[in-house]
Amino acid sequence: MKTGDKIILIIVILSLLVGIIVKEIGISNTSTKFVVIMADGKVYEKIPLIPNLKPSTIMVKSKEGYLYVEIDNGKVHVLDSTCPDKLCIKQGWISNVGETIVCLPNRITISIVGGNESVDSISY
Amino acid sequence: MSNKKLVSLFSILFLLVVLFFYLSNTYTSVEIYSMDTVIDIKVWGINRFKAVKDIEFEINKLSALFDDFSPNSEVTLINNNAGIKPVKVSYETLDIITKAKDMYDKTDGNFNIMIAPVLKLWGFKSGDFRVPEKSEIEEALKLTDINDLIISGDEVFLKKKGESIDLGGIAKGYALDKVKDIIENDNVTKAVINMGGNVFVYSKNNNEIFTIGIKHPRENGIIATVKVKSGTFVATSGDYERFFEYKGVRYCHIFDPKTGFPANKIVSATAITKTGYVGDVLSTAMFVEGKDGAFELAKRLNASCIIVDKELNVFYTDDLKGVVSVENR
Repeated sequence: MKTGDKIILIIVILSLLVGIIVKEIGISNTSTKFVVIMADGKVYEKIPLIPNLKPSTIMVKSKEGYLYVEIDNGKVHVLDSTCPDKLCIKQGWISNVGETIVCLPNRITISIVGGNESVDSISY
Repeated sequence: MSNKKLVSLFSILFLLVVLFFYLSNTYTSVEIYSMDTVIDIKVWGINRFKAVKDIEFEINKLSALFDDFSPNSEVTLINNNAGIKPVKVSYETLDIITKAKDMYDKTDGNFNIMIAPVLKLWGFKSGDFRVPEKSEIEEALKLTDINDLIISGDEVFLKKKGESIDLGGIAKGYALDKVKDIIENDNVTKAVINMGGNVFVYSKNNNEIFTIGIKHPRENGIIATVKVKSGTFVATSGDYERFFEYKGVRYCHIFDPKTGFPANKIVSATAITKTGYVGDVLSTAMFVEGKDGAFELAKRLNASCIIVDKELNVFYTDDLKGVVSVENR
């Protein structure tokens, strides 16, 4: 194992740890807002939206294509996308509960939930 | 062993532990479309992919047996042979019909799978809704006698031509019981299953509390929340799911089996139970009974319930004090 390999390994482990810690914080705090990313009708990722968190970029892939979502200080936008119309990028930043960015060509939605969504499920 | 090898071995081991922890704390969420409804499945734990696959397989299997809209289902076969001959059915079909018949007795006939001819008359099978004449309803009610449903051995027989069964008020709850078995056998850490409004929650950690919202009958959002433990089923029947309005009156899809008219005493009934099919049936029977009857049923069958009346007041059984919270309106 070369020094470079070790560095990569350490980076991988560290980023995994950071990811887990962030996730645990999010789960323990039910009053936080969440970013819910859906791709092809399925939940792709649900991330707690915590202010003062370092900016992070996520790649979201669907059957139709992919895009990059950037989360920064309590707000979310689409950084880049493979879709032809780029409407998702033009929608800019969202930060309030109920707001949604839709990328129709890629079948991806990014929405912010909170409040009532703190329940585990709804019986109807 | 050299120092280098030890370091890399340790790193890999550490990575595996981290990965294990990560995998057992993340969940898989899928939506499947079966049993004429949307089924939202969330499963936590390493084994979640197998569990999701098993659940999907089981639900599709049950749907193929019970769906009275499908021309090949066993229920359709029973209905098509009404007044003609007994039909040999699989274990699951026999089991659910036996349980449904038992629940007819336990709910004093307020839950009846023989109600299908009445539903048909009002247009709830086709979507061509209408308010039938009193005489028509009386005729249809003659085809809903539970004693005409004969179970013998592994055969089911409907005595009269025109009689038919509809498992709509029990199938989802029954399927959730099967889902519970799968979840326990597949060794998952946590699961939240929502089968068209019937919710089942499970956690290996018995102290884990789940918060379930009860849908507001007249608006988006929820009217109340209830905190429940692992292994609990929450089923709701409401007049907002399927209904039509005629001359300012709302006619919903849940019928009073005794009158042949849509039940209209309350707007929503939620049953909280330890068995899926019992909860599914009870929410329907409670909706028919109204508030007082519902509370009585809950007491008799060891269940809890939440009732929303026409003025949107929320009532619940004493055992739910402290765990139900009504949303501010």
